[in-house]
Amino acid sequence: MSKKRYAIVLDTRKCLDCKACTVACKAENLVPLGTENYRNWVSEGRLRGSYPRLGQEFVPGQCMQCGNTPCKRVCPTRATGVGAGGIVTVEDKKCIGCKYCMTACPYNARYYNEERGAVDKCTFCAHRIEQGRLPACVETCPTNVRTFGDLNDPDSEVSRLLVERPYRVVKPEMGTKPFLFYLI
Amino acid sequence: MSKFLRPEIIGKGSIVSRLLKRKLSRRRFLGVSSCALGTVALGSQLNVLKALAEPGSGVKLSLVPDRSVFTCCEMCVNKCGVIARMREGVIHKLDPNPSFLRSRGMLCARGNAGLQTVYDPDRLKYPLIRTGARGEGKWRRASWDEALDLVAGKMTAVADQYSRAGMMFVSTEGFQEEFFLRFAECFGSPNTLRHPTLCLASNLQGFGATYGTNPFPDVRNADYLIMSGANRAEALFTPDSIDMIAGDGGRRKLVYLDPRFTRTAAKADEWYPIRPGTDLAFVLAMLHVIVGEKRYDREFIDTMTVGFDELVPHLETYSPEWAAGECDIPAEDIRRIAREFAAAAPRAIYYQGRRSSFFDNDTQLRRAMAILNVVVGNWDVKGGMLPGKKIHLGENYYLAPWYDGVPERLETGDVTYLSLKDGAWKPFRDRVLAADPYPVKGMMVYKQNPLQSVPNRSKTLAMMEQMDFICTIDITMSDTAWYSDVVLPEATYLERLDPIHVLSGPVPEAVMRQPCIEPLFETKPNQWIMQQLARRFGDEVAESFNFTMEAFIANQVEGHPEILEALRTRGVYRENDEPVYGASHGKRMKTRSGKIEIYSAKYAKEGQDPLPVYRAPQTPSRGRYRLLLGRTAYFTHGTTQNNPYLHELMAENSLWLHPDEARRLGLRDGSRVRVRSSVGEESLPLRVTEKIRPDCVYMDHGFGVLSKGLSRIHGRGASDAALIEDRMEPISGNVAMHQTFVEILPA
Repeated sequence: MSKKRYAIVLDTRKCLDCKACTVACKAENLVPLGTENYRNWVSEGRLRGSYPRLGQEFVPGQCMQCGNTPCKRVCPTRATGVGAGGIVTVEDKKCIGCKYCMTACPYNARYYNEERGAVDKCTFCAHRIEQGRLPACVETCPTNVRTFGDLNDPDSEVSRLLVERPYRVVKPEMGTKPFLFYLI
Repeated sequence: MSKFLRPEIIGKGSIVSRLLKRKLSRRRFLGVSSCALGTVALGSQLNVLKALAEPGSGVKLSLVPDRSVFTCCEMCVNKCGVIARMREGVIHKLDPNPSFLRSRGMLCARGNAGLQTVYDPDRLKYPLIRTGARGEGKWRRASWDEALDLVAGKMTAVADQYSRAGMMFVSTEGFQEEFFLRFAECFGSPNTLRHPTLCLASNLQGFGATYGTNPFPDVRNADYLIMSGANRAEALFTPDSIDMIAGDGGRRKLVYLDPRFTRTAAKADEWYPIRPGTDLAFVLAMLHVIVGEKRYDREFIDTMTVGFDELVPHLETYSPEWAAGECDIPAEDIRRIAREFAAAAPRAIYYQGRRSSFFDNDTQLRRAMAILNVVVGNWDVKGGMLPGKKIHLGENYYLAPWYDGVPERLETGDVTYLSLKDGAWKPFRDRVLAADPYPVKGMMVYKQNPLQSVPNRSKTLAMMEQMDFICTIDITMSDTAWYSDVVLPEATYLERLDPIHVLSGPVPEAVMRQPCIEPLFETKPNQWIMQQLARRFGDEVAESFNFTMEAFIANQVEGHPEILEALRTRGVYRENDEPVYGASHGKRMKTRSGKIEIYSAKYAKEGQDPLPVYRAPQTPSRGRYRLLLGRTAYFTHGTTQNNPYLHELMAENSLWLHPDEARRLGLRDGSRVRVRSSVGEESLPLRVTEKIRPDCVYMDHGFGVLSKGLSRIHGRGASDAALIEDRMEPISGNVAMHQTFVEILPA
């Protein structure tokens, strides 16, 4: 079996900002209640133009599962690592809660989980992938904003989308090589 | 008894189970007693899982489900298919059911948050009997027997002193509502009050008077969509909300009229901040163009409709130039949209919306929308307006006793077309307050929350104050429960076996709720509550409730075991996957003429306009603003604001005001303001935004609660029900919620 490289492609034009992904993720991953605790989010874009000619975008996000990981670099205990499929992981046991990684992450994709005593973040629902199920945020989305798949498989939906459609990544200037791709 | 709980891992080396391996025990201190949830401080679901696991034996935690249950959502009215992922007897996650077509295999934020209805410490747990004054919040826990004896005794006292019509039965839709309505009928009161006159009564009336049915828009296949105030990106309705977006980027064009820049506006191809109450002028002007320029479907009109000849002269004065002055939409845009719409027809839809309790012309507005759809010939064709179809289920018969001398409905004669099942809230409440023509002194409530949903809350409070007795059945301490004498806790939808229900539509689907867990605490399904009450009203009444839910369902599927089999194994049953188009063409419609009625002879006979006539809405005087209300995707009416997950998304509502007006009033964004109407005053934070017309203000529905039993949101935000004047659309009896003007004052 060839090595997998998981990615999510997002079509933000479809996003209603309904927060289904956010709640699904909190329930699935036992993220503690509290507005500071989240593994994914939907941000409201700036309101463009002026009344009555207005426009607005809604942009979901989560850990970009970077190919070049600033979080891993700064971790003094090697709690942060990269697992199967390129998913960036945190090992609870090793995490001392110094939060360097939270500062280093340019996407603000990490939070400190008080209940577990460790920094926590999106894992693409690795436990669901293992069972052949989609990540919770992908599955639950009313309008199918997110497409999940293996970029090493040229026939996968994510590979196809990135061939057919123009896309961007967030903060490419940081050199993080993110694996969340936003269709333009 | 309290103890530290130790987690124990059963996961098979998955990343997350490894992540969970430690630290739980040293950090969390949970009080676990026989009523664990009652004492658990509010934390994450993790705490609940731990609290519910067997104390002493250690908690087993993994994110991998050990069992899945097919069921169906009850967080709003859509009834989306759900697969409950269970672990160690606890509901861990609610996933969408990919086989359920109507929801297109999705589950929204509310659907995902549904598990908190079970594990929320704020849920109702035991029967409660009021010990202090009404609304004071002093209760004592009672046994079911004591509570039900009290309820039955009080109901009998009301019936004896006044009449059986002296009890009103207030309820709203749900899979167990039918037992409540059956009980009302068996008790012998004609006074049932349901939600439609706070919601879509005018919509059903306007489209029904035209088509003889309320059609389903084939949004998925439409090339041109016009939505008037139907905020589908936030007021999620399946499958329309999803299909509306699915067509984006293709041929589909969405024109959206709303005084607010909602999320639907953000998704629309064109947004017009129309002057509220003038949508009828817009529709009539579109008709003026389409009919005047003969862009209609002549053949369809000739074969399937009556009254087109009366329509033609009626439209003469309704030009786009005239409408532009009413709607604040340029005449050239109205003309262009009308032409584009006709060109896209029959795959063009003027979308009827759902809640249509806006103005006192609302039935006529929906009539005009229907007529516009009719003349372009989009009936029962791909991308047009489709007839609903059903799946046949077996009946469960019962025989209600007959009582002599019970008067007819209280508000008989107050509405042109009064639904005997639904009633009409505004005239009903007025008549209770006046005891005219007879007093109503007892109130049974199931699931509905009139203190949040009926405009002019002070009148509802006065109505409740004059009651001898009020009992509410619910899953949370709603405002209405808070003002009741007895509160009976219902089991949530995840703890109940519910009857099979058919969701009608172009592709009808049958769904059922299977219990994921046994009811927690002392909560009971409504069916059980009604059965126990019925037993206290003699053999004849009890006989109508002498069944088990399993037997009830067996009757529904008699001769069709495949329905139950599909529900158990896939969570949904349907007979076809795609709509069948055109079967109704050339057939009789369910109207008096047998045709689609453009001109309504029956309205003429009732003294109502047989064709929609435009009357301009009142304009606010200087310094006053029109109050608008609406929805977000996080909340269903007034029911989910206190849900722990959803509360995080919005903890309080705010008052939207245009920046120019805020400047004029000297009010800053985020400051607290008072909002005053002729019937009430509320206070909430100000949100200064360009997303609203300068002559309007807006607030999300469902805050400003009176109940301290909704601990997270009590004291937060404002209630629109406290501010809205009670006005009514006379044909359907629907309330008119957008006709209140308010002043804004610094708090």
